[in-house]
Amino acid sequence: MTTELKIPEFSANFAESGQQGKWGMAIDMDICTGCQACVAACAMENNVPFVGEADSGYGRSMHWIRTERFWEGEFPEIKMTPYQPMLCQQCGHAPCEPVCPAFATVHSQSEALNLQVYNRCVGTRYCANNCPYQVRSFNWRDFERPEPLPNQFNPDVTVRRRGVMEKCTFCIQRIHRAEDQAKSEGREIADGEFTTACAQACPADAIVFGRIDDPESAVSKLARGSRGFHMLEELGTLPSVTYLKAG
Amino acid sequence: MTDNFSRRDFLKLASVGAATTAILTGCGPASRYVTREPYTKMPEYTYNGQSTYYATTCRECAAGCGLVVRTMQGRAIKVEGNKNHPVNLGKTCVRGQATLHGLYNPDRVQDPAKQAKRGSRDFSSMDWDAATAVVADALKNTDPAGVAFLMGMAPDHLFDLVSDLAKAIGAPAPIRFGALGMFEARATLGKAVESLFGQAAMPFFDMGKSDLVFSFGANFLETWLSPVAFTRGFANMRRGGGHGRGTLVHFEPRMSQTASKADLWIPITPGTEGLVALAIGRIAAEARGGSLPTAFADVDVEAIAKASGVSAEKLDELGKLFASANAALAIPGGAALAHSNGLETAEAVLALNALVGGLGRAGGVFLAPLAPMQTEFSRPANMAEMADFVEKLKSGKVKTLFIHGVNPVFELPKSLGFEDALKSVQTVISFATFPDETAMQADYVFPDHHGLESWGYQRVAAGSSQSALSGAQPVVSPYYNTRATADVLLAAAASAGGVLAQALPFKDEVEFIQSKIVALVSESDGYFNAPEINTFTAYFQQYGGWWKTVDELSTPSGDALGKTIKVGEAKFAGEGEFYFHPFVSPVLGEAGANKPWLQEIPDPTTTAMWSSWVEIHPKTAEELGVDNDDVVRIVSEAGTVEAVVYKYPAIRLDTIAMPFGQGHTAYGRYAEGRGSNPADLFGEQVNGAGDLAFAGMRIKVEKTGKKYPLSRLESRMGVYGEALGEEH
Repeated sequence: MTTELKIPEFSANFAESGQQGKWGMAIDMDICTGCQACVAACAMENNVPFVGEADSGYGRSMHWIRTERFWEGEFPEIKMTPYQPMLCQQCGHAPCEPVCPAFATVHSQSEALNLQVYNRCVGTRYCANNCPYQVRSFNWRDFERPEPLPNQFNPDVTVRRRGVMEKCTFCIQRIHRAEDQAKSEGREIADGEFTTACAQACPADAIVFGRIDDPESAVSKLARGSRGFHMLEELGTLPSVTYLKAG
Repeated sequence: MTDNFSRRDFLKLASVGAATTAILTGCGPASRYVTREPYTKMPEYTYNGQSTYYATTCRECAAGCGLVVRTMQGRAIKVEGNKNHPVNLGKTCVRGQATLHGLYNPDRVQDPAKQAKRGSRDFSSMDWDAATAVVADALKNTDPAGVAFLMGMAPDHLFDLVSDLAKAIGAPAPIRFGALGMFEARATLGKAVESLFGQAAMPFFDMGKSDLVFSFGANFLETWLSPVAFTRGFANMRRGGGHGRGTLVHFEPRMSQTASKADLWIPITPGTEGLVALAIGRIAAEARGGSLPTAFADVDVEAIAKASGVSAEKLDELGKLFASANAALAIPGGAALAHSNGLETAEAVLALNALVGGLGRAGGVFLAPLAPMQTEFSRPANMAEMADFVEKLKSGKVKTLFIHGVNPVFELPKSLGFEDALKSVQTVISFATFPDETAMQADYVFPDHHGLESWGYQRVAAGSSQSALSGAQPVVSPYYNTRATADVLLAAAASAGGVLAQALPFKDEVEFIQSKIVALVSESDGYFNAPEINTFTAYFQQYGGWWKTVDELSTPSGDALGKTIKVGEAKFAGEGEFYFHPFVSPVLGEAGANKPWLQEIPDPTTTAMWSSWVEIHPKTAEELGVDNDDVVRIVSEAGTVEAVVYKYPAIRLDTIAMPFGQGHTAYGRYAEGRGSNPADLFGEQVNGAGDLAFAGMRIKVEKTGKKYPLSRLESRMGVYGEALGEEH
């Protein structure tokens, strides 16, 4: 008698198990000028610490958003690839989530965002290792902010301590504020009623934020356009950020 | 209660259980992040948990962008753009965002002080009555001819007050200067417009409606004139208002941030920008047919191709492209004007617009409107005038020098000898908010408020098609024992009595500002109207200024093409084998180095942070035997600096570029002793408009054998590549 081994066939269907986003962003790389206004605006809004020269040299800087650029060709035919603001893509099927042993990196069903619960985080850094976009930053120290710099802190945003992972939240404090306001007035949030700090600052209006589940919103219209694509789409992460190709 | 009442202390007091206290005492240093003020210290206009927003004007440069600052319980929390403001329409640049790190900078000047000996940093605090008496004494007892005022490019209300004051006592008119004005070559722009169109004015470039922009060195996406307004124009051009996607062609020896957004970057030989403009003009004129205009008649395209390194075929292609566009626009600026032939370069580039009918056409060149309460074009002092001023200081004719809003010891070329010249001045009084290099060479420092604690106004010079006066008001009460310079001068004038008191009979800064803006109450076409000055002032604060609702651009007149434009060969000072190409750091600007978050914002093109660097092409670096992070010595005719090598793949092989913004020897802990200052290399060569020819230099590069690890963001991206370094 022979025993037939029944090994179930492995099939990963990421697209089905993930969740489509509720909030989304469209970033037009054709008009992004790499000016870094978004980076500064994000740092000011979200109490992101600066780490100093030595630590930033070690790659420990805490930017929640950064602009990437790469080179193609050789001088004089050299071209810089379009500036590519890189931030948490708020994946619908996020690689960072299943690896967190402390459930600090979790998916919010109601907002369809990737949350980072700072007081659950034990600093394993598994999530950052697993993030294909490299957008998570870790508090390697309690970075010093001498008085009176802390006067500038945004009281709506927690200040993180050493040993805690952090990342872009799509300015969830602004989302909640707008939702509370709309709820108290018994209405839905209107498109463009509020926006994230990066989109608000962007002098070129290259960053547009809004409800991606509303086909009529500005961000949905942009994301549907022929230039739209997702970063590392082939990984099946279902990013909520759509990039618009340059040129 | 103490000022710093920590959350932990609060919990300690609030909890009665000793066990709780013991556990909490074991906690880490979290408590130091949380400070609470007693409720009794709360300003009366704040509600708990609710933000108050104030409109004001950004002071990080002189462009005059409108801000709305979010405050919470008397603290400034976040800078946002003023949506109604014609310059920035709700947007801000990176420096505007970081202005809060200036406001709450730990190294601000906190009290008025007297320095025991210049440069000693031995300051003894004074009270403001004594400080005012010092100013009053200086104004009253110095021969008026021996009083001099050196002012920055912002704010304008203080410049107006000082102008009135100087006139009243018969002192020379105040001099204005700023490093950005120097790098922008504002005098050159004004003079080129005057010589072509018969009227000195700031040109206005309607980029948003253009479909083809040729930028000759103008770094308009970085710091040039009004970067937020230009970025909006660029974005609209790219989105293609009616013409389809607009094209940007940029001529610059190095790929700057602006050049990196260009569809075509031409790494032109430094100093040949004007020649190339002439060649393009000739080819475009031929392509358009008709008789060849005088401006482009005597142009030898072949010779220009040889000099500029742009092939004749390429010039032909560019000329035809320029001629065929619907709304072509040519912009002169930046280092292209900072050559001995810079004025002629500006003329040649502006003439291109005339050739294609771009004067007064949508998407073309206009003359910017004068700001409200402005009667004629004004510009900061050019380098020739600054050199005269320094000579005057050296001669000992100036007994008392007042300095506000500018840091000449850092910003002027070292070779000019400003610091030395100060030794011949009996009394130097600085009104610096930050302990900058110039304040360190002053006898007295009477700190002005930070811009966000200040009243004022700023005339919009370049960023708006509407005539606009941007208004400033304090968004928080002063954090330190500082006082508005306007108030100090007014109090000093009152106590000096005589003509001074008569000329400036204002009880404070606000009353002075009202005496100026009262002229606008009766103006029509305003963004708001008010029947009298008090209501007007309230609106002026609420809306963040006053501007016309209609465009007031004017069409340049005159026969711009009728005169021969002779662009001579650019002269280069020094003997070295490399061209030198200094540029203003797009992140730090002229005065951002003391803001820690700006230091940690990566430079857009190199991603470098926290220091200065020199950009050298990898092939050149190999020939020189230097690598990334090697420290090299740059030697010019006028001086030397040391800086870290950054191998930059998008720069000419014969050119070395270096950012301006670092290299402070004072200016607070985040700026001091960091990087080096290219102004130490600058000579005194000027162009036809008297602007500094800072790009007309040749330099040598010498090895030092030292290494310095340059912090840069890009290492972080290739986590498995070079980022980890050899040792991993």
